[in-house]
Amino acid sequence: MRVGLLPTHGGGSYRLVMIFLAILGILISTLPVIIVTIMSFSAADTSSFPPTEFSFRWYGDVVDMFMTEDGSSAQSVVSSVQTSIIVAAIVMVLSTAVCIPLAYALARGDRKIRTGMELLFTLPLVFPLVILGIAFLLIAESLRLEIGIWRIVIPHLALVLPFVLRNCIGAMNGISVELEEAAISLGAPPLRAIWDIVIPLMKAGILAGLIFALIISFYEFTITFFMYTIDVNTLPIWMYSRTVSSLDPSTLALSVFIIAADVVLIVLVDKLIAGRANLF
Amino acid sequence: MSLNLSRPRMLAFSLPALLAILPFLGACFYIFRFSISGEKGVIDGFSIQPYLDLMTPFFGRSVWVTFKLAFISSVIVMFLAVPLAFLLATLKSVMARRILTVSILLPMILNLLVQAYGWIILLGPTGVLNTSLREFGIIDRPLFLLFNETGVLLGLIQTSLPLAVFPIVSSVRAISREHLEAASSLGAGHWRTFYDVTLPLLRPGLVGAGSIIFAFNASAFAIPLLLGGRRVQMMGVAIRDMISPLFNWSGAAAAGMILIALTLGVLLFANWLLNRTSDKKGA
Amino acid sequence: MTTQNTHLHIKGVTKNFGDMRALNDIDLKVERGSFVCLLGPSGCGKTTLLRIIAGFEKANSGQLLLDGVDIAQMPPHKRGFGMVFQSLALFPHMSVADNIAYGLKLRGVKAKQRRDRVDELLNVIELPSIADRPVSALSGGQRQRVAIARALAIQPKLFLLDEPLSALDAKLRDNMQIELRQLQRKFGVTTVLVTHDQTEAMMLADDLVVMKDGEIRQSGSPATVYNQPVDMFVADFLGAANIIKAKSSSAGNISLLGVETHRKTNLSPGLEFDVAVRAEHIDLLATDPTTVHPTGTVEFMRNLGPSIEWIIAVRGEKLRVRSNASNPSNLEVGQNVDVSINADTLSVFRNE
Repeated sequence: MRVGLLPTHGGGSYRLVMIFLAILGILISTLPVIIVTIMSFSAADTSSFPPTEFSFRWYGDVVDMFMTEDGSSAQSVVSSVQTSIIVAAIVMVLSTAVCIPLAYALARGDRKIRTGMELLFTLPLVFPLVILGIAFLLIAESLRLEIGIWRIVIPHLALVLPFVLRNCIGAMNGISVELEEAAISLGAPPLRAIWDIVIPLMKAGILAGLIFALIISFYEFTITFFMYTIDVNTLPIWMYSRTVSSLDPSTLALSVFIIAADVVLIVLVDKLIAGRANLF
Repeated sequence: MSLNLSRPRMLAFSLPALLAILPFLGACFYIFRFSISGEKGVIDGFSIQPYLDLMTPFFGRSVWVTFKLAFISSVIVMFLAVPLAFLLATLKSVMARRILTVSILLPMILNLLVQAYGWIILLGPTGVLNTSLREFGIIDRPLFLLFNETGVLLGLIQTSLPLAVFPIVSSVRAISREHLEAASSLGAGHWRTFYDVTLPLLRPGLVGAGSIIFAFNASAFAIPLLLGGRRVQMMGVAIRDMISPLFNWSGAAAAGMILIALTLGVLLFANWLLNRTSDKKGA
Repeated sequence: MTTQNTHLHIKGVTKNFGDMRALNDIDLKVERGSFVCLLGPSGCGKTTLLRIIAGFEKANSGQLLLDGVDIAQMPPHKRGFGMVFQSLALFPHMSVADNIAYGLKLRGVKAKQRRDRVDELLNVIELPSIADRPVSALSGGQRQRVAIARALAIQPKLFLLDEPLSALDAKLRDNMQIELRQLQRKFGVTTVLVTHDQTEAMMLADDLVVMKDGEIRQSGSPATVYNQPVDMFVADFLGAANIIKAKSSSAGNISLLGVETHRKTNLSPGLEFDVAVRAEHIDLLATDPTTVHPTGTVEFMRNLGPSIEWIIAVRGEKLRVRSNASNPSNLEVGQNVDVSINADTLSVFRNE
């Protein structure tokens, strides 16, 4: 281990600088999350840090929020969480369902077509979200579309496609044609070979894609910011509207729940793709 | 290679995904059409007036701020991402790698509002940093680190870091230990090896990641909205303001087209740069 | 032979990949129950031919007659040929038993019978206790046998193998060749194997088909092809052959290394041509000026264990000689020896 990207011993200034930058990066990434988590246990109403006393009162408030809120209030947290979950679930299932056959076609088909298609499906990744939000809003308004939650599902679908497709293609890359041919030589019609051999082997990539779609859709803010209506809004929008003016520690407590869920999901993705595929 | 996927079957397999992305393509076209509309509020006739109306010092400043912040944040992100990628690629323990992955990935997917709170508590006028600095008597008046360009920059760096780290990790994995050992056996020190071997090998990955970060940050909306107050008019926010209080739809569309041109231009430039240098190497 | 015994008849098969002609008008008859090896260097079209037989490639023209019926248009999954792939292509998400039973499952065989058949095959390949292991837990040789068992489980009409042994190390490969041959005999299945390894082909084949540039150069029993190659390529490809310049003498005999042999040639006198002679068909004798044997010098020698190889420089040619029953084993580098070649072992080719 003398030589390496990060020498374990020795290495002088090189090692020091690299480690310093890495730690700085980690701090920038994690500090806000850590602070939020600590503050959510504060007993005080103010946002002074560090908190002098600790309590679970804000967590209690969150629970109350979910338990006592009357269903009539359209802006209720319960309904926005529901909408978020329904939207994310639809987006998750649809995006995966359309990406699996596409990934198969791209992996097995013409190389030229593959490059073009990959480019096409990368576009939503680099396309400015604000503009997308405005465009979808314009279309929905000018066509006077009454499509309920689909006004959020459709843009979200476009947004998650690059991520889901990449995961599916990554999964396809490891599956040799000979496996399929083996199944066919044993008597499986081509579609059956895909079902019996390819899909089970893609499983990890498919699951990773599903989780990506779930995460992205669940927390999407920008497009939803343009598309939400009084009847259809999601959790991030609810949090924004609630705290745009002042900081409410119960929102912090709610955030900690979200952080915990995220950690579980990321670990799951990491486990699924186990360092062999690209996250992006 | 020759499990012959016939054209019709390939098309049938691609069709659902093409349908799913169709609204997106429609939206792209719609924006373009609106940007050359003769009317501000509806699509009617053709005119380049929306573009001409944008030729104001205000919008020019917005383009400049966008370009500046996106560029600076991309550079800083690359400086932080490379050591992090090295760390992630060299970590042996699965547990440590997982913790690092989580802590890098979290800011990107976590609700931006939550993180904004975190920053406000840390760096706000009455936040941790200012309070302690004042207690130690280092400053008299609070430093304004948020609701200006510094705050936005911080947010941009934080949210785009994972977008850079993970692609670089996969390029780093492709560098074999032999490359480094060869350099070191020839007497190169750590810095020399880094400059002469590691960096050139990573260049395609770095340029690719850097240009994506630029595009991502140039079109940022939530970060300048939440951390910039009203003062940092990055294009995303400026475009929103054209719609929300002003109802200047065609103007917003035209500004959007300019933003797309800016990001696309940088992406293509990076691509060209990469092709040029790799051609030279091949010759 | 009668047509009744022809199991597979490849008739005028031609295949193009874009502008490149991969196979040119291939004609080949495969006898029922025989073991045919397609042998040739990479890019000779042998794998393409196998894939056309299997149905994974479509020929541009020609017929594929199985028992007299043209199957060229039949999709691969209906052909019922068992195939062993170069990568073996065992399904990594299935156990050994599930791999072997997959073809039976597709044919609607009941679970109980499937299980019996799997056990039977595992006994045949002498791995009775691995049924429930995942394929990732198997050694190279075990995977090989499971792949063969999987292909044989469906009682294939044809057994096709695409360089199945190329990934194994030399010793294991040798054992597997013997096992493969025994299995093939036991099942009596008509077999086509693709390989670039001439030793493997010689060892396995009833019929050897040597291919180059999309054409069949020679086919026949291994002994025929080895001893009577039709051209220089075949002679050279099948083991160490010496290519020597020769001439037709005024008496119509072959003359080489300055010595006129008794072997007749119908080539016109004075014509130059090439002959091939195998390394083990050259005898080395103690120098004796009273004989007509040309004298050469030992330039290089190496001990290969079971045999010894020498390079002998003689009259402007460098001959590779391998030890045989009559060669002395105590030669040293620099020593002079007489070279004796039995003219009947020569293969004569027109110089092109």
